[in-house]
Amino acid sequence: MAADSLDGDDGEVSEAAVRERLDRVTDPELDTSIVDLEYVDEIRIDGDEVSVAMTLPTAWCSPAFAWMMTTDARDEVESLPGVARARIELREHMHEREINRGVNERLSFGEAFPDADGSVDPVRAELDEKARIARQHDATGALLDAGLSETQIAELTRDDLDFDGDRARVWCRDGGLAVRVDADPLERYLEKAEATGLLDDDRPELFRTPEGDPIDPDAFETVRHRTRLAGVNMSGQGSVCDALHESRRAEDRPPLSMRSD
Amino acid sequence: MYEYEGEDVFVIDSHLHLWDATEENIVHEGGEQFIQCFYDYHTAFTPEEKQWSLEEYRKYGADRMMEDLFGSAAVDMGIFQPTYLTDFYDEGFNTTEQNAELAEEYPERFVLNGTFDPRDGEEGLAYLEELNEKYDLQGVKLYTAEWRGDSKGWRLDSEESFRFLEKCAELGIRNIHPHKGPTIRPLNRDAFDVADVDDAATSFPELNFVVEHVGLPRLDDFCWIAAQEPNVYGGLAVAAPMAVHRPRKFGEIMGELLFWLGEDRLLFGSDYALWNPDWLVDVVMNAELTDEQRDEYGVELDLETKRKIMGENAARLYDIDIEEKKEQFRSDDVTEEFGLGDHYAGETSATPADD
Repeated sequence: MAADSLDGDDGEVSEAAVRERLDRVTDPELDTSIVDLEYVDEIRIDGDEVSVAMTLPTAWCSPAFAWMMTTDARDEVESLPGVARARIELREHMHEREINRGVNERLSFGEAFPDADGSVDPVRAELDEKARIARQHDATGALLDAGLSETQIAELTRDDLDFDGDRARVWCRDGGLAVRVDADPLERYLEKAEATGLLDDDRPELFRTPEGDPIDPDAFETVRHRTRLAGVNMSGQGSVCDALHESRRAEDRPPLSMRSD
Repeated sequence: MYEYEGEDVFVIDSHLHLWDATEENIVHEGGEQFIQCFYDYHTAFTPEEKQWSLEEYRKYGADRMMEDLFGSAAVDMGIFQPTYLTDFYDEGFNTTEQNAELAEEYPERFVLNGTFDPRDGEEGLAYLEELNEKYDLQGVKLYTAEWRGDSKGWRLDSEESFRFLEKCAELGIRNIHPHKGPTIRPLNRDAFDVADVDDAATSFPELNFVVEHVGLPRLDDFCWIAAQEPNVYGGLAVAAPMAVHRPRKFGEIMGELLFWLGEDRLLFGSDYALWNPDWLVDVVMNAELTDEQRDEYGVELDLETKRKIMGENAARLYDIDIEEKKEQFRSDDVTEEFGLGDHYAGETSATPADD
């Protein structure tokens, strides 16, 4: 794995290696890496223990989202060879105490938030589904650009794709012809299609409607519009978070005056 | 009246508050975090020279509000949308009664909306009737995600909610404004899920459902529901200021909204005092789609579209006769106070709106 090469020969953990693991953690609402979003304030390495401090764009960021990001960060960093323990410190969040305690003491969400009436799993599944739909837009867009017809795209199955480095071969059923396209949008789509269990059901079609059904070629355009909308929603929300993030970190920002800590 | 390239545009700001977030009024840390979060929104999108200090922002009062809305002639009329938050603020954040301070003084300029919470049961129905009797309500602002005791919110399509919607229909309160914005609470669920609007809109075709903040960040779910329910509208509060620093993104969002809902179902709102209409109206009126966006969405954001969004659509929902209002505004108290006579003088008017 590429990340392993980032580890020093002497077995010591490097900050670059930690950052690379954190880069795999996404803000689930925006489907963007927490490193790219600059949520990570600080990485400290002390032997086989790693501490990561994070601040989200607003103290009101959904506790469920904050929980997903902090537990994912902990698990990603701890998956690094040479790391025995990762400690996460979420800063300036309305539920920082519950979250920091829960994440570092390895509690379940329900244990960390006795008030909550369920787990975060349904929210995660829903956000994964939205990310899947947005990524489908990019993937089908790349295939349309490569000259595939709407019907050909609607009929594609997982088996019609194979990957060769940064290129993908897409086998169209009528004619046994392979079209070569950039692998990235297809790989990104497959990642979320797998995460949402879409490829495990008993239907073979690779691309689906937002509801998970095969696409009727006559309705292809409407599905394309809906997948476009999912992406616009995500990047629109990203712009709001980004603006809040900038504002929160501005030098002349007044202090959180009534905070008890 | 706002003047855009020599043309008058009648502006109804459909989302206003007169709030009190002074430290004396805060009873719970949540109240402080709430106003600070608002302030982050304020500074994030407001041009630097137009930003307020946090202290001004906590409580600005009626005079300042009048000046901000009408002093620059950006707004002709406004609609108050209350936000009670009585768990956080001793006297409430901005209740119907607090907003009534101005609405009753200038009834020709303001529309006063009420609210309900189906968890209040019979008492709540009585309060709604009382509000209606007192203020002749045409609309209600609703917070389906508000926590109360053990409850983590309520759904617009629940049996209890339907009793209140029936009451609204019976009382002639036609405009229902559910707040569907950024997720804050509850802990583990998406409190501002817009799915509950769907069944409510189908079940009450005589009511209009104006989804505030166009469901951001659930724009996708919102548009898909609105595309199928003709009585679902979008309130642009919070989406509008993106036109300042993120004009491309604003264009994309407007492209989607115009594509799915069309130009007759979108309402401008500043969410004052989150943002000041004096600069926001200007920015939105000057926003344009890129050529690429026009091709992608097949829609226009031209003067006629903007006229509808800035005022005509709200006028239709709230039975406001714009021509009659212009006539009335030639000499009302607000016009006298801010010297706006020229704006309503008809053909002879040539004064720029924003100098």
